[in-house]
Amino acid sequence: MQQREEKLLDASVESLISRVAHLKNALHSFIYKLENEYERLTWPSVLDNFALLSGQLNTINKLLRNEKTPSFRQQIIIPLLLSPDRDEELAKLTEQRVPVFSHEIVPDHLRTKPDPEVEEQEKQLSAEAARIGTEVAQKQIQTLNKLCSNLLEKLNNPRDDRDADSAAIRQNKPSFNPADTNALVAAVGFGKGLSKCRPPGPVAPGHTGQGPMMSGGPTLQQVTIGGGSGQQQGMGPGAPQQQGQPGMKILNVI
Amino acid sequence: MEAPPVSVLPITGGTINMMEYLLQGSVLDQALESLLHRLRGLCDNMEPETFADHELVYLLKGQQGNPFLLRARRSLSHPTVPWHLRYLGQPEVGDKSRHALVRNCVDVAASHSLPDFLNEMGFRMDHEFVAKGHIFRRGVLKVVVSKLSRILVPGNTENTEPLSLSYLVELSVLAPAGQDTMSEDMRSFAEQLKPLVHLEKIDPKRHM
Repeated sequence: MQQREEKLLDASVESLISRVAHLKNALHSFIYKLENEYERLTWPSVLDNFALLSGQLNTINKLLRNEKTPSFRQQIIIPLLLSPDRDEELAKLTEQRVPVFSHEIVPDHLRTKPDPEVEEQEKQLSAEAARIGTEVAQKQIQTLNKLCSNLLEKLNNPRDDRDADSAAIRQNKPSFNPADTNALVAAVGFGKGLSKCRPPGPVAPGHTGQGPMMSGGPTLQQVTIGGGSGQQQGMGPGAPQQQGQPGMKILNVI
Repeated sequence: MEAPPVSVLPITGGTINMMEYLLQGSVLDQALESLLHRLRGLCDNMEPETFADHELVYLLKGQQGNPFLLRARRSLSHPTVPWHLRYLGQPEVGDKSRHALVRNCVDVAASHSLPDFLNEMGFRMDHEFVAKGHIFRRGVLKVVVSKLSRILVPGNTENTEPLSLSYLVELSVLAPAGQDTMSEDMRSFAEQLKPLVHLEKIDPKRHM
């Protein structure tokens, strides 16, 4: 009986060691890639690495949960010999990370309790949980379960009308205004709204016809052409008039 | 804005006829950041380039109907850089299936005496505006996101007010005449900017 258990223990420890070694190698190559091939790395390959690590962690978990695995919690590890001398075997086994099996490294490596900070946080959390009270806790548990199930449902059932929903949401916040587009294109194309003699803001026809004519001055001849074909509607030669269309003024100042 | 080739012969002469392929759209101020992020991802990896330009448009009214239009542009952020003089022809009325606006384009660099020179030649300044924004590049494609501002006091580029609450987005390529492959690339790039911006071929004549 003892022997079988011992053999089982040995076998499971061996397989655990090999799985952890795989994980360590994967981490090592990933870190190398991140540090050295930084520019060439693409997001899909980073995701692949993470997937690999996650898969290996999963196998370790499955291994630990396997019914054939004896419970490691019931095993006790006692260091039999501590010496401040350098141990070559140990150094080789641990790739020079642990050269000495001494009093300093034993408390860290053989630690079973969580880190002090983690212990502190756990204490706080359990105090918080005790403080809330059972009904509130129950309600919180129920809300969490509902949220999770909603999310799972949304993720598992791709709905066709999901696209319609998101399109409707996006339409509520338009990112461009076609009227603005036309105004800007007209401004760049032929100066609609930019004509120098045009004061800013909406123009009252007739009033500004006088102002710009005077500010034009003797040195500038300003001719704005409305329309490529030079249409001049209702225009008498030599008479300054203003067309009804905003931005279109024809002045003959000679 | 870009270093233009100097063409010695007149426009109808024997030089390479450069055509500009153009798609235009606009984006509201509040959506500008998302557009800039997307462009930074889609376009070539370069330092984000901003520009501030002052453009003056000169007209020469001939005997016939159509005036001759020249655009003179100077940089407000680099005052010593030469002026950029550009002629843009009428949009080519080719086949309707072409996705971009195509027009003849001649670019030259000019010294700082350009406005005086044009005035002496008989051109008169029709309008001017200030354009400030960002420029991105993807291969030969050039994307310019600019805010147009009206100049309130002629000649004073400090005193400006924005024309609208949007930024103008222009996608353009300069290519020798005859190369029609550009419009397909432009269209696929424009697809990638939807639904933030709708870049399309806008005929300026329609908005006269």
